[in-house]
Amino acid sequence: MAAVVALPDDVARVSHELPLRANLSALDNIALIPIYQRHFSVGESNQQALQLLDQLGHADIASLRDPDMTPAQRFVTKLARALILKRPRLVIDRPGAMLYDVSYPAFIRQLAMQATMAGTWEIFDFSWNRVLYNE
Amino acid sequence: MNKLHFKVGLFAAASLLLAGMFVVYLLHARGFFEKTFHLQLAAASADGVAPGVPVVFSGIEIGRVTTLGLNENGGIIIHAEFLGRNAKWLKENSTFTLDKPIVGGAKIRVDSPDLKAPALPDNATMLLLTSDISKEIPALVDRVKAILDNVEHLTRKDGELNATLANAKTVTGRMTGEYGMLEGLLGSPEKARALTDSLDKTRALITKLDGLAAKADQWLFAEKGVAAQTRESLAQIRLLLNDAQSSLKKADVMMTNAVEISANVKDGTQDLAQLRAEIDDAVRKASDLVNQINRKWPFAREPEVKLP
Amino acid sequence: MNFLAASIESLGAKVVGWFTVGYAMAAFLARAGLLLLEPATWNRATFDVVVKQVYFTAVQILHVFLGYALVISWLIITIILSTARDFGLTEFASEMTIRVLVLELLPFLTALFVALRSGSAINTEVALMQVNSELDALAHCKVPPMQFEFLPRLVGGVVSVVTLAGLAGLLALLMGYLAIYGVNTAGFEPYTRTIAKIFDFKIMAGLLVKCALFGLAVTLIPVTAGLETPKKLFMVPVSVLRGMMRVFFAIVAIEVVSLALKYI
Repeated sequence: MAAVVALPDDVARVSHELPLRANLSALDNIALIPIYQRHFSVGESNQQALQLLDQLGHADIASLRDPDMTPAQRFVTKLARALILKRPRLVIDRPGAMLYDVSYPAFIRQLAMQATMAGTWEIFDFSWNRVLYNE
Repeated sequence: MNKLHFKVGLFAAASLLLAGMFVVYLLHARGFFEKTFHLQLAAASADGVAPGVPVVFSGIEIGRVTTLGLNENGGIIIHAEFLGRNAKWLKENSTFTLDKPIVGGAKIRVDSPDLKAPALPDNATMLLLTSDISKEIPALVDRVKAILDNVEHLTRKDGELNATLANAKTVTGRMTGEYGMLEGLLGSPEKARALTDSLDKTRALITKLDGLAAKADQWLFAEKGVAAQTRESLAQIRLLLNDAQSSLKKADVMMTNAVEISANVKDGTQDLAQLRAEIDDAVRKASDLVNQINRKWPFAREPEVKLP
Repeated sequence: MNFLAASIESLGAKVVGWFTVGYAMAAFLARAGLLLLEPATWNRATFDVVVKQVYFTAVQILHVFLGYALVISWLIITIILSTARDFGLTEFASEMTIRVLVLELLPFLTALFVALRSGSAINTEVALMQVNSELDALAHCKVPPMQFEFLPRLVGGVVSVVTLAGLAGLLALLMGYLAIYGVNTAGFEPYTRTIAKIFDFKIMAGLLVKCALFGLAVTLIPVTAGLETPKKLFMVPVSVLRGMMRVFFAIVAIEVVSLALKYI
């Protein structure tokens, strides 16, 4: 666990400890990053965010806010937010805490296939959940 | 169209418009778009005058004092500024009076008796009077008049002085007559001396009045010396002073006669005592008046009356 | 002896606490100010958030606020006028009305209004963001929360309080005119003169600065109070309570200082 918390800067984390901004829509949450990190215009950033959501097969959740989403939708948004950071490593931290309503190994696998990302995906999970991934 | 942005835009536009209008209105109210009219006031004393002291016309503020300064001759120059639109109340015959009420701040009062008079040019120099003076000019005139009446009364043909003199003559006649009661009617020498004193006082008063009249003359004929209204008041006082002088001189002559007569007869009758008292009173009043005029008129002290 | 030492210690703790709060606020303000000077801050996104803030702080409540300003102004003007008439001081009534309402009461009430409505909301929101780790998430994404969460709130607060106080003041000026002279143009000249006499450059600048400080106080203090919240949900009400207390003290202090500067 300590390893997860002390991750270096080049890691994009998806974790239940890093929630979405509650009063912003999924699209805004994702678009924040191109706007404030790369100084894209609002329209351009929204375009990028929407494209990413579409790629993950969840374009329909763009206008939803955190409380209105299902855990899976929330996870997709968080994942999109981590992906748009364009960091070489992606760490999914204890997916069981976020995806408690789906069989999450399969779900993540499917998302990983849809996403086009150069770097590596890593999943940190409890050892007793290992069996889930072997299914 | 974004409804939220539209509303905020409307709000911002309306607020900016209102703010802009208010600023323009304020600038208009404060005379930003008008020429400023300047006026210099020459005063003998700047007591109570400070920058910001209002200049009022008919109780309404039309300008303010901006700076105070001295000219080469040590006179005080007060600079005042007026909005262009208020300059029309300043006429060539306007008087400027420093008002220092018991309650409230000092202010400079403008009186324009004739609004058809030609307007004052920009940067004109006017005389600033002190309010107690201007208020007191009519009062002083009244007092001079009263004294003159008194003197008149004493010196009129059937007046007490004449009567006294006649009386004195009769007494003298009587005394030098067959009854020869000269010794018996002798008054004390002090009484005669008192009368002589009164006479001296009268003469001193005449000298003082002469001096005052000369000063008044100086003021009356000085180029652009004083405002027209003040000039009139001064002229009036000048006349009264002349009057007083001649009357007092007449009284002087009569008194001299009377004293001579009384000295002759060594008479101490009631009539003469009363006369002396009255003359004394008149002299005292006149002296008072002269002192007052000397003390209060700003131009009585010569170094300060020089105008720029 | 123990008692004395304990009380001195508690006093010291309080003083240190106040200094910490003051320092945090000053540091926050300095950071916000520096950020404000950076041209990169002024992008479309920040502007949009400012617009949103202005909408929620000022536009949304405009009708309620103006109605309330109208009632208060009308009452105060009527009271001043009738009292002035009773004491034979009618000539001072218009000046008194303008001074009391436009320069003092309305800006103060505007600040209270915005503090109660937006200040408390901001405090709660920031406290919840802090408790929920939303700020940590932003930090992880390297999105500066100052730029898109806090600075727009400060700017929005200042703009809103200045604008609302200005609008209420204009409304009060209009009401004052109507109350004194009625619906005609006869009083325009004397009223203009009174206004010209009161609103010199110093007074206008002072009013503007005061309103801006009010705006800053009702947003800056809630934001910093929210940021101080420990990560426990039950601390949110405590944070709001503390923040609002500080806002109240700050508003009163600004008003007192402005009065002192103006009249002493």
